[in-house]
Amino acid sequence: MAEFDPEKFEDKYVHYLQELETAYKRAFETMNDAYDSELVHAIDQQILNESEPFYEGDGRFRVELPENPAGRVQGVLVDEEKLQTTLDRYVEEIRAELRRVFDIAES
Amino acid sequence: MSRAKAAGAQRPKRFLALVQSTMSTETKTEEDLREEIANFLRRNFPQIQMHGGSAAIRDLDMESGEVTVMLGGACSGCGISPMTIQAIKSRMTQEIPEIDTVHADTGMGGGGHGSNRGGDMSPSFPGETTDDAGGDDSPAAPF
Repeated sequence: MAEFDPEKFEDKYVHYLQELETAYKRAFETMNDAYDSELVHAIDQQILNESEPFYEGDGRFRVELPENPAGRVQGVLVDEEKLQTTLDRYVEEIRAELRRVFDIAES
Repeated sequence: MSRAKAAGAQRPKRFLALVQSTMSTETKTEEDLREEIANFLRRNFPQIQMHGGSAAIRDLDMESGEVTVMLGGACSGCGISPMTIQAIKSRMTQEIPEIDTVHADTGMGGGGHGSNRGGDMSPSFPGETTDDAGGDDSPAAPF
């Protein structure tokens, strides 16, 4: 278990890449089991590939998404509402997995 | 006398090394840069291969400093690649001065689950050398 240091998280891709990959991977697996697999793959590959997690303090993480995330998804037939709901759930899952991987509780 | 001679003998060697290193920076060929990028990926992102994935340099523009890295094989839709891609983009521009922009994807931009196009990629890490293979304290794969 990595000990979390908010300052080191500023340089997260050097210090915490393994933890970030683990958190995203776990979130992906949870989502893939529960939702439309094609949509989950599309979100993973076409939206989250431009996402960036930030630590906000008090145990909270924020996942910044690229602009117009829904417009980035191609190759999957999905209505916007379903896409948005799935994406919101996915982001929540990533935030939860980030807390879990760093063993910190939201306060 | 002998000490002076020894010092004199050292100087040209150092001078030559300096000239060589300066020249290599100025005249870095595309092949040199490709090899540097491949080594950078292998050294810093061993998890790509550990997970059965591959990373290949698809395009390199020496003038604009743009490179396109394709992640293939198991990387296509494994849930890990978003952070790996972001890390490659962030670190490569910091650590390789000739590179200003990194495009990285898994070849699934317009596809979905079914478009496993990893098979049409070139082999991972072309121009691979073994100078530091396995010599890093690279992190273990997270899974």
